[in-house]
Amino acid sequence: MNKYFSTKTSIFVFASPALLLFTVFCVYPLLPEIWMSLQKHDGFRSMGFVGLDNYRDVIASPSFWTAHKNTYLIVGISLLLGIPLSMMLALFMEVQTPKLRRFFKSAAMFPAILSVTVVSQIWLAFYEPNWGLFNSILKSIGLESWTHSWLTEKKTVMPSIGLVFLWQYIGLNAMLFYTGIKTIPKSYYEAALIDGANFVQVCLRITIPLLQNVIKYVLILSTLGSMAFYSHVRVMTAGGPGDTSRTVVYQMYYTAFDTSEFGKGTAIAVIFIVECLLISFLIQRFIARDKLEF
Amino acid sequence: MKYLSRIFWVAVGCTFLFPLYWMITMSLKSKSEAYSNPFGIPQSWRWDSFGEALSKYHYFTYLENSLIYTVGTIVITLTTGSMLAYCLSRMQWKFNTSMLFYVSMGLIVPIEVVVIPLFQLIKFLHLKNSYLGLILPYSGFAIASCVLMLYAFLRSLPKELEEAACIDGTNVYQAFFKIIFPIIMPALVTQCVLIFIRIWNEFPLAFIVASRDQFRPLTVGLLSFFVNVGVSDWGLIGATMFLSSLPMIIVYMVGNEKIENALTAGAILK
Repeated sequence: MNKYFSTKTSIFVFASPALLLFTVFCVYPLLPEIWMSLQKHDGFRSMGFVGLDNYRDVIASPSFWTAHKNTYLIVGISLLLGIPLSMMLALFMEVQTPKLRRFFKSAAMFPAILSVTVVSQIWLAFYEPNWGLFNSILKSIGLESWTHSWLTEKKTVMPSIGLVFLWQYIGLNAMLFYTGIKTIPKSYYEAALIDGANFVQVCLRITIPLLQNVIKYVLILSTLGSMAFYSHVRVMTAGGPGDTSRTVVYQMYYTAFDTSEFGKGTAIAVIFIVECLLISFLIQRFIARDKLEF
Repeated sequence: MKYLSRIFWVAVGCTFLFPLYWMITMSLKSKSEAYSNPFGIPQSWRWDSFGEALSKYHYFTYLENSLIYTVGTIVITLTTGSMLAYCLSRMQWKFNTSMLFYVSMGLIVPIEVVVIPLFQLIKFLHLKNSYLGLILPYSGFAIASCVLMLYAFLRSLPKELEEAACIDGTNVYQAFFKIIFPIIMPALVTQCVLIFIRIWNEFPLAFIVASRDQFRPLTVGLLSFFVNVGVSDWGLIGATMFLSSLPMIIVYMVGNEKIENALTAGAILK
């Protein structure tokens, strides 16, 4: 019967709309991206083929490296702080009463459904130097010297924005881990309890090793998500002060749309796509293991 | 000890909800109270910020736009995506495996990195400042995960499903829409929720493409409003933030369970 259904026409009708949309809007833009990065381009017309000059200029600019430092700082924060913290939240969620767990689940996911604009604007108020939440708390406990103008000082601006990102998605990641934990058969835990294992041992020896598929999934999501970090910066600091808080994607937007250097903007994009591909490849290569079956 | 840990967890939970509390209380405070008492409970409840917000902030335009973008993307992605997934999983086509691999490449490239050529393409197709200018790229980027999830779902169904239909003499289109579509509904709902949350909150592409005010979705409209107001009137800012988040908050309260399941579906599918 599958033969009867699989005529040339029916395959064409079923496959072509999605493939067309995907090809035109998701794959095709990569070609003009590469092509444009080899030209001097102001967004309206090309002003000649310049070969690899754009790449040379882009790599020579210090802003490009500041942007890289910031993007990988965000990647580092979300992998080295975000994943362990959300894993801890998930492990502790397991041992709570159902009522508390219900409340905690709903609360933890809440920031992830809010829009970036709202979240960033709220934190803008928390970081406000005169009456903002953090400085008010520091003043009220007598640590006046610790107060900062968080988003306009070069040293504090990136960690401050990173904290917002961490806060927004930590609950969602915890829920992903928790969903994974629920699929681990109870018999594993019962066996461990009979052997007299304690909570920490159970977590380290049973839960975390059996969660490796979910960990890998969250790792990929967090890495690619934090690589593309841009919107929070746009709302909170617009890259400032100066270029201190620009991320790679921000630097790309800025170069193309604010300075009309579309050739250089696309050069940044091409370099960055290669980085994304490389990182996904590395994750697949070194972290992927055989699928676990329970 | 048990009691202490419970208090600790409630406190952690509250830090996630604090912004909601803050948005609401801020919008109820007068201009001067917003500065003198920015994080406490308002001393007098004033609703004028909401009136002012509704008159100055083009709330209903942005709300309508966000709805159009989101619903448009959901309809296009789910129809075309489920058809492709059906073709790849249950039809005999020699390119099935290679096409599945081709589509799965879409998961690696984030939309942000192709914004420049995408912007040029949208201009070239004369879609800039039209609803399709965002709906079509959004759909193109949503298709990869939609097809992969539905493909996995369809593969798990028995092959005999369409056989009865085949004997009855129905054609493939009727079989797909009458038999397969209802069966894959749970997976479609999951995708629907995921796309809704992603597109409703999408910012980077909308910021560039929807430059004219009448086409801006809530995320971009809100930012341009903040830029215009400056940081002088936090009561007003609180009210616009709350109004902008309200549809999502209502959806979250009504479909809490469904949203939770959809957002965590990827963790167990892999």
